[in-house]
Amino acid sequence: MVDVLSPTTPDQLRDAVGWALGSKTPLEVIGSGSKRAFGHAVLADTVLDCSKLSGILFYEPEELVISARVGTPLAEIKAALAEKNQQFHFEPGNFPALLGDDVVPDAGTIGGLVATNMAGSRRIKVGAARDHLLGFEAVSGRAEDFKSGGRVMKNVTGFDLSKLMSGSFGTLGVMHTVNLKVMPCDEQSASILVTCDDPKVANTIMTAAMGSENEVSAAAWISSADVRLLDIPVASEFGGGLVALRVEGPKPSVSWRSEALCTALGQYGETYELAGSYSQRLWQFVADVKPFVCASDKPNMLWRVSVPPASGGAVAERLMDVTGGRVMMDWAGGLIWLQITGSDAMAQQVRDIAGASDGQAVLVRAPAKMREGIAVFHPENPALGRINAKLRQNFDPEGILNPGRLSPPSAIGEGA
Amino acid sequence: MLRMPEPDQHTLARRKDIIAAMKDVIPSPGGVIVDEDQLRPYECDGLMAYRQLPMIVVLPENTGQVAAILKYCHTHKIRVVPRGAGTGLSGGALPMADAITISMMKFNRVLDIDWDNRAAVVQPGVTNLGITRAVEHKGFYYAPDPSSQIACSIGGNIAENSGGVHSLKYGLTTNNVLGVEMVTIEGEILRVGGKGLDQTGYDLLGIITGSEGLLGIVTEVTVRILRKPETARALLLGFNSSEEGGKCVAAIIAAGIIPGGLEMMDAPAIKATEDFVHAGYPLDVEALLLVELDGPQVEVDYLIERVGNIAKDFGAVYSRISETEEERLLFWSGRKNAFPAIGRISPDYMCMDGTIPRVRLAEVLAGMQVLSQRHGLGVANVFHAGDGNLHPLIMFDANKPGDLERAEAFGGDILKLCVEVGGVLSGEHGIGVEKRDLMGEMFTADDMKHQERIKMAFDEDQLLNPGKVFPTLHGCGELKTLHAKAVADKFPTIPRF
Ligand SMILES: Cc1cc2nc3c(=O)[nH]c(=O)nc-3n(C[C@H](O)[C@H](O)[C@H](O)COP(=O)(O)OP(=O)(O)OC[C@H]3O[C@@H](n4cnc5c(N)ncnc54)[C@H](O)[C@@H]3O)c2cc1C
Repeated sequence: MVDVLSPTTPDQLRDAVGWALGSKTPLEVIGSGSKRAFGHAVLADTVLDCSKLSGILFYEPEELVISARVGTPLAEIKAALAEKNQQFHFEPGNFPALLGDDVVPDAGTIGGLVATNMAGSRRIKVGAARDHLLGFEAVSGRAEDFKSGGRVMKNVTGFDLSKLMSGSFGTLGVMHTVNLKVMPCDEQSASILVTCDDPKVANTIMTAAMGSENEVSAAAWISSADVRLLDIPVASEFGGGLVALRVEGPKPSVSWRSEALCTALGQYGETYELAGSYSQRLWQFVADVKPFVCASDKPNMLWRVSVPPASGGAVAERLMDVTGGRVMMDWAGGLIWLQITGSDAMAQQVRDIAGASDGQAVLVRAPAKMREGIAVFHPENPALGRINAKLRQNFDPEGILNPGRLSPPSAIGEGA
Repeated sequence: MLRMPEPDQHTLARRKDIIAAMKDVIPSPGGVIVDEDQLRPYECDGLMAYRQLPMIVVLPENTGQVAAILKYCHTHKIRVVPRGAGTGLSGGALPMADAITISMMKFNRVLDIDWDNRAAVVQPGVTNLGITRAVEHKGFYYAPDPSSQIACSIGGNIAENSGGVHSLKYGLTTNNVLGVEMVTIEGEILRVGGKGLDQTGYDLLGIITGSEGLLGIVTEVTVRILRKPETARALLLGFNSSEEGGKCVAAIIAAGIIPGGLEMMDAPAIKATEDFVHAGYPLDVEALLLVELDGPQVEVDYLIERVGNIAKDFGAVYSRISETEEERLLFWSGRKNAFPAIGRISPDYMCMDGTIPRVRLAEVLAGMQVLSQRHGLGVANVFHAGDGNLHPLIMFDANKPGDLERAEAFGGDILKLCVEVGGVLSGEHGIGVEKRDLMGEMFTADDMKHQERIKMAFDEDQLLNPGKVFPTLHGCGELKTLHAKAVADKFPTIPRF
């Protein structure tokens, strides 16, 4: 039987972890559970449900900061920000939908977002959740309260634990409060589309755009197969793949930069300018990885391959050749989504190709059985692995927080 | 008075052997410094109130040498103090009598510029400005720009997570570093991060950045470079009170405008800088805002007008817009020379560095005036207004008995005030020895112990830069012990389903 602990206050959270520590009961830490299928299954029968640690504590738009309990639904936070015409600059996409099953838009909690270090297309310019977490309060695996950072924009007081907690998948501590930096929404956003079927040429176009003065805030490539799924009028006219480049800012600046980009990139293909809601729809499509959203029971695997941006095209091509899969590129080539259908995730091949280009590959979606046998996260370099293991040991000596989440059962004890 | 760890007599007694071993590792002349007169320049960093001659100084030339030195120190339990350009303002590179100071200034080469990935790979001794110099011929630059950029090293920037006037829009060092090579105290060479955006495992790069030389010695750095904005223009805005100035800053940001630079000065700072550089600052205002907009010309012209209008609505009594590049630089010359300007009117000054929530500005400045009277010392304020980072400059005379102590007490009170209003002890200069003993104002004992547990994962014997950041270092045994009070044996009284 699965036992669920649902603390409603930070004190209760500490008690719950204290009890688990005393009774050596491993805990599966969840927010709303929307990303449970990401990573390995946690080896625990007791769930520590943080969704009742909920609510915005303060939101000061002029100070560019919001503070909330971790269980606050992302949708609630986004709505509050939208009311003041603000946003998280790292524009997290609708990741849970990728993992399958009827998920509502903006599912998930703010804590889960930080713990998995999510980021959308703007990462290439402004970073990920880690770059926007100003501070947090948590309970470590030692059942002790600890905090780091604060609520101000600039802070170098002590080690920057906010970075460590971002993306740690709840294996070092359970946060109960997070303070995040927010940013104003831009006055205008537009996209320049360039027709392009070849991922390598697409990469060249994106590299040229990113290296220009036009402050491109997102650069993606969508293959011809997937452009058809894009619900915007001009898309059907293309009949091929396309590079999308986004410029954001004050109106006159956006027009000027759009024009400059069209002129500069005309040599590579036909260019179109997409404005307003169509442009937004396109970037939502990319952020949500729409082409590869499908039910989780289908035997298909989704990889997230991260490489130096300028190698993206070549890596994408090689991945398609070797695996027969479909790809979409984001982050100017730095992120390649690879979907493989069939019964083999081709983990070794994918990892070898990513590794050869100083990159890494994470298996985002695969049937549960398959995930048991493959390391979902890219194997870490042994020297770093030793330090990670020590950190884990120092923060959670009894291994009660999310054991097994980051590495498959066979590898436990080796990595973090 | 500052308490540092007691020198280890055993190490001091072996100084000769240690020198010989170091000369084996670094055979080139000048690589190992042992004479007192040559050690003298290393006795302090930018925090000149504290001085200590190092046991010896070594200047390694490559990563292999750094690894060999650290391995030796680890085996023989010898303390080390990493050092970059020595411009740090919190005493992070303050030597110890029984420690080897490792200067990284021979690591001064730009290794690779990868234009396509917009990344520069450099050695840690390259200066901050040196990176921009290496890429500007193709229209690129490195964004974080501490005022010390002409001298400070990128290795020091990583260690301190330095910021600059452009940090509000472009981020701090931590947001602009892609990877490092770092040697651990055991002599192991780690490569963390790289030109791609994701890392495996925990975010070690994020923890190394800002770790003040306590986790390892950085031997190579990969940073993001950006295209230089097409143009930049600045506005000077004067207000009758710093409160009005603060409200104008809030209004600019509330209007959705994030300027490239957003600086503020109070009346004493305005007067001192104007007397020094004649930037044309108005002398009859209580607060001066310097707002810089950068980007394409059309954007800058458009935003300048909007900011000008906001300023008018928020009671600006003075407003001037730079019409030429020379004029823009003139506006900045005052702000950039604020430290030496204060140096002209006061025999000594101490530069503090707290951050506060911007809305509390007026209250904090008023509180500072009260403290100024209580301690009997003057203070001038320059302020990264966009991100709430204050730099109060406390004026004193070190030759007057008791003045330094009063300045330190005044500084400590200012930082406590910052923490009281929801701010922090340091926005960009780091903790070092300067603010070490104030850490308890912000952190509980458990908070500190969790930080120390990170230190322990890298450096169990606490050989790297001891005496910095942590007011008291707990032994590893104590940090590993599980506290009985935390372990609740009874069933917790929380909702279960
Ligand atoms: C006039 C003036 C203006 C300043 N303005 C600013 C400003 O605007 N913004 C700002 O943020 N700072 C500012 N500073 C502070 C200082 O310049 C920065 O902290 C800078 O990053 C220090 O670099 P450095 O090379 O001088 O490092 P050092 O002072 O030599 O060392 C600083 C710390 O880094 C460690 N360290 C150095 N190199 C390495 C390495 N390779 N590996 C591991 N650890 C290392 C040292 O142990 C020490 O703890 C200013 C200083 C001065 C004097």
